[in-house]
Amino acid sequence: MQVAGRKVAVVGMGGAFPACKDLNEFDHKLFTNQSLVRQWDLAVQYEKQIRSTVSGYITEAEMGLEAVWAPITEKYPETYIDTLGRIPDANLSTADMGSIWAMLGAQEATKMAGWSKAEIESEQTGVVVGSGGAGNQILRVAWHYFFQMGKKARIAGAHTVDRSMSYREAANISCLLKTKGVCESITSACATGLGNIGHAYRLIKFGLQDRAIAGGVEGTALETFIGFDGMMILSKGFSPAESSRPFDMHRNGFVCSFGAGIVALEEYEMAKARGANIIGVINEYFNNSDGDGDMFYPSFAGQQRLWKGLLPDKGLRPDVVKMHGTSTPVGDSVELLSVVDALGDEGYHMAAPKSQFGHMLGGAGSVELITALLMLKNQQVLPCLNSETLNPELEGFQKNANWHGPDKPLAAYRHLVPQKAFAKEINRVACLNYGFGGTNSAMLVSRDI
Amino acid sequence: MERQEILDGLLEVLKTIRTIDPARLVGVTEETDFLTDLSTPSTELINIAAKVEHKFDIEFDDDDIDHMGSKVKDIIDLIIMVKARSENE
Repeated sequence: MQVAGRKVAVVGMGGAFPACKDLNEFDHKLFTNQSLVRQWDLAVQYEKQIRSTVSGYITEAEMGLEAVWAPITEKYPETYIDTLGRIPDANLSTADMGSIWAMLGAQEATKMAGWSKAEIESEQTGVVVGSGGAGNQILRVAWHYFFQMGKKARIAGAHTVDRSMSYREAANISCLLKTKGVCESITSACATGLGNIGHAYRLIKFGLQDRAIAGGVEGTALETFIGFDGMMILSKGFSPAESSRPFDMHRNGFVCSFGAGIVALEEYEMAKARGANIIGVINEYFNNSDGDGDMFYPSFAGQQRLWKGLLPDKGLRPDVVKMHGTSTPVGDSVELLSVVDALGDEGYHMAAPKSQFGHMLGGAGSVELITALLMLKNQQVLPCLNSETLNPELEGFQKNANWHGPDKPLAAYRHLVPQKAFAKEINRVACLNYGFGGTNSAMLVSRDI
Repeated sequence: MERQEILDGLLEVLKTIRTIDPARLVGVTEETDFLTDLSTPSTELINIAAKVEHKFDIEFDDDDIDHMGSKVKDIIDLIIMVKARSENE
């Protein structure tokens, strides 16, 4: 149960962002309307085996890392060298790429929070971080050498488990920072990033923890990319910068990307008492499931219930809705109409940061929450790049007799979907993320006013 | 193969194990203990064994590794024993 009067502040953030050396560059590029999506050399190498070749990927070198290739197993990163000396070798040996990003993000977030060593190592500091996929890059080699090559299990090394287990990012952060509170992961497909932060918010709100390091990660892995490529749901046929185009009528799929977003959460009064910089205050977190038995197709009814849970008659309205907006044909139109159904057609704007860096899967919700916090800081709405033309015709499902949502085409809401960043007063941002299996997550975050 | 030659090869392997402090590899003898003297994480012994197999072109039985001691001389003894075993097969 929630503890009355207990609030949760965001006091730090960090992570890994495509084509950006740090959070400051990420901030600058986003608010100058730049795309972080690039042609991915690694995907191009596979020629006709692969359908889509654009991604918001991050290389080892861009993160100051060097792979140590195993002498026994070809193309297997036995471990990594941190060329900037941020993480000890013993911690690197138990981490896959995404876990290293998580540790770096946690270092940045706790530094920004200004937590002391005693606060970080406290029983009241938890870690709630997860990723959408398994440690696919690590598992592929271990399984290949065992099943295809007939090698002994140990040939892949002794770290296959710790580098690929579901909660590897949380485990690696906790071992690095020596936190003594809750350490666990929430996994909910593409809602994972927001789901972990939502769970951490509840731990603090419910009085179980005072501080939490929370977020989501998806480490660069072609092994992950090809799963979605095989579903033929990735964007195709556009230049890299034009590939992610949420709500545009010519969109044809999402851009599979990678990244990490980690935030430091703290009970509000404790943060205020020590003079912390309050980046944002989490007003509410709500999540649910579609309940319609469909693994993939979005549910308008599920999203209607999501909004009712997020805004239960508190009089809080968002000035901006940070959309899930993946650039998939059906998902975008259902989402836009469900937002209009909940908030009407004026008084707010929709920002779609996936238009700038693609879909980071398990990292999406947390990196996009960071974009919402940046919107609060900068007092600017992020754009929906490439949303050139919204459909002037009704969507097919709007013509169904059972449809009870807005009865205008998407083009009627053009004024809500900016194509460039612009300034306005922003006091609250609602963040939306959904995932396979019909899972829906929403968070409302405010300025500290 | 002489014991010193094996020790030199073993040191080459140990230099690739990043969780072992290179400074501790100076003055390694057969009496050096991986766990207490080199502070090697126990999980890393598996990686060392796998790399030794590759380096010396041998294959340990699982029992060999299960019963392997933690001193340098233990792994040198094991390499000599396994090499002799494979030559007699």
